[in-house]
Amino acid sequence: MDFADYELNDEVYDEMFLPDGTPRGHCLSLHETLQQLSVDELRGIQERVTRSFSNEGVTFTVYGDEEADERILPIDCLPRVLPGGEWLQLENGLTQRLGALNRFLDDVYGEARILSDGVIPRDLVHGCPQYREEMRGVSVPHGSWISICGTDLVRTGQGFQVLEDNLRVPSGVSYMIANRKAVKSSLRRLYRRYRVREVEHYGRLLLETLRELAPAGNADPCIALLTPGVYNSAFYEHIFLAREIGAELVEGRDLRVEDGFVYMRTTSGLKRVDVIYRRVDDDFLDPTVFRSDSLLGVPGLMRAHRLGNVALANAPGTGVADDKSVYAYVPDMIRYYLGEEPILANVETFLCRRPEDLEYTLDNLENLVVKRVGESGGYGMLVGPHSTPAEREQNARQVRADPAGFVSQPVLALSRSPCLIENRAEPRHVDLRPFALHGRRTRIVPGAFCRVALRRGSLVVNSSQGGGGKDVWVLEN
Amino acid sequence: MLSRSAQGLYWMGRYLERAERLCRLLRLQVETLVDRPIREIYSGWSRIYASLNREPPVGGLELGANDDFTLADSYTLADDLTFERTNPDSVWSSFAKGRENARQTRHCISSEMWTCLNLAYLRVQELSIGDIWRVSPERFYAEIVRDLDTFAGVAEATMYRGEGWNFLQLGRHIERVQLSVALLLAQIATDRSQDEAYGADWTSLLHLHQAFDAYGRSYSIEVQPDRVLDLLVGDPLLPGSLCRSLDSVASELAAIPPGPASDAEAALQRLASRLCSLVRNDWPDTEDRQELLEQVGEQSRNLHRGVSAAYVDYDTADTS
Repeated sequence: MDFADYELNDEVYDEMFLPDGTPRGHCLSLHETLQQLSVDELRGIQERVTRSFSNEGVTFTVYGDEEADERILPIDCLPRVLPGGEWLQLENGLTQRLGALNRFLDDVYGEARILSDGVIPRDLVHGCPQYREEMRGVSVPHGSWISICGTDLVRTGQGFQVLEDNLRVPSGVSYMIANRKAVKSSLRRLYRRYRVREVEHYGRLLLETLRELAPAGNADPCIALLTPGVYNSAFYEHIFLAREIGAELVEGRDLRVEDGFVYMRTTSGLKRVDVIYRRVDDDFLDPTVFRSDSLLGVPGLMRAHRLGNVALANAPGTGVADDKSVYAYVPDMIRYYLGEEPILANVETFLCRRPEDLEYTLDNLENLVVKRVGESGGYGMLVGPHSTPAEREQNARQVRADPAGFVSQPVLALSRSPCLIENRAEPRHVDLRPFALHGRRTRIVPGAFCRVALRRGSLVVNSSQGGGGKDVWVLEN
Repeated sequence: MLSRSAQGLYWMGRYLERAERLCRLLRLQVETLVDRPIREIYSGWSRIYASLNREPPVGGLELGANDDFTLADSYTLADDLTFERTNPDSVWSSFAKGRENARQTRHCISSEMWTCLNLAYLRVQELSIGDIWRVSPERFYAEIVRDLDTFAGVAEATMYRGEGWNFLQLGRHIERVQLSVALLLAQIATDRSQDEAYGADWTSLLHLHQAFDAYGRSYSIEVQPDRVLDLLVGDPLLPGSLCRSLDSVASELAAIPPGPASDAEAALQRLASRLCSLVRNDWPDTEDRQELLEQVGEQSRNLHRGVSAAYVDYDTADTS
């Protein structure tokens, strides 16, 4: 396959090529290998990768009008390569950021010094829908409120920036591992030559992390993964992770709380559960505390948690730290708690709750991305340059009606990476979601789920909206 | 093991056994379309629907029809029993439900089992009655049976012999017992309605249970209903005989570690033993074989309820 028609753009960072069209140093072998492969051979590789997802049932669920549809995530077979040095910087930045975010949560649900000191407006935090008053005064093991984090990073001309901290129930790690398995076996020689760092031990690191959260230092805790159930779009991942860590995959109806302890219903009777890796949102965790109409949760679970009898990962209330408004203050948190300058930059963010930011946002809708603070997954988002006047007008009305419910950011020129599209290499915008774990300490597997906006020109990488995935090869130093 | 996972494995065993049995039946049935008389074709379809306790769709099954109508009806009936999504007993429905149970318990089975089953499911999912009818429907059914046999072999070779295995096998054997009883009773009823037992019908039952060779060795090539029943019900050496399936139910129950509902568990084990004894000891001397089979059928439904009461829906008071 040749790259003769491969389109480069001075304003967009290309993950494989320098602006003059020569491959970046760490992509030389990949480029050379791809050039040696015929289009048919590459198509065969792509088919094998796709088929392996299909055969293994690596699916996500999309809901139509009538029935749920199990879909295969489109995976591009061309890996994205990250040199070891670059990764080290990301790893340090993520560790720093996760440390500060955990300190922030410990603080806002404790003494709230950061609010008293006026670093972050108190009303912003307390007005956040994800702020959980019920967690005030609760202490969590090792201050690990966020035990599993999936940060969305993007690369622009200014380097890597954090787009979002996903601190509630981040998903995608199973795709990172499935991608690796599929791509590695299809590009065997190249993989060997590259000395790529492994990601398959993620399950072991997750298990170590969860064990460290066990109440009273129980060295062999009973761990369960709480799923909303088979209809959840990430159900495959839940079952994959349960298998990886040897935990039972439970639904709310399998659990009950008695005398402040959590038990699961087994064939041998009720068995006590010490740690729950929950993939259920806060709202649905405990109908006696949060949404009373929740059928997914466990009555009494929050009481057991507050008593310290069961650990929840992530702890309830972490959503306040990945609120799209609070996000703007994370660099300040890093300075406040750690006395360090942020290693990873934030994306410039305009908080519409501030009158000057609101005015700027409304005046520049066609150049901005406007996001609802409470939404995720790319929903409720206006991408200014791709919007119609009518959509902008509608959005402006919504923003004016509820300024605090919106933030805006400049449209980022996300980096692009070559993808195999209709038998030729074409650039597509990508982001990067590495996964960090935190128990007694931070653990990060050297890899990530790289999301790809497969539609030409699109910046939306979400799988629910036409996004796909790519394997990420982090190289040894 | 989590009760819901045990239940999922149990149902996976049941649904896959159901899908396999129906495929075997349909394979035999579509083979009759090539050269057998209309009466036999009619009788075969009737037996299948009676064993499923189900009415054929409107337009199917007319004994007096000619060849063309019989073949056209057979196409409709095969579609109803194979691909019809709204028919809960169709091959597709059973396969999809078995695979769905596997998907939900794939952390409890080996990855080889999952891949094997998922591949088979994907193959079925792509087809329709038109696809299989054009070429060789019997080959299609044979291939599914082979896929499911392969799955059973992969399970045998790779699944950890813990409780999960016990529940999977339990589901499989209880389903087998219920299906066999239903089919034998349907055949007995067919004979009565025709005032005659046709050797061909009983021969096909032997083929269905892979018992034709064993029958020939034990008896002769002359097929007699009573002897067929003796073999399919009471022969402990025949894989898939009622006797052997019930023995398997009892041994799987005995292998499951003690549950929280000791009374329900003890009652379940006693019931399994009683059924084994009924088929082993009472069968040879019984005069009313139909009644005994009905009794086994009824009690096997209690077995199913008993599994749930002992390990899934037990009362949780004082069990923690």
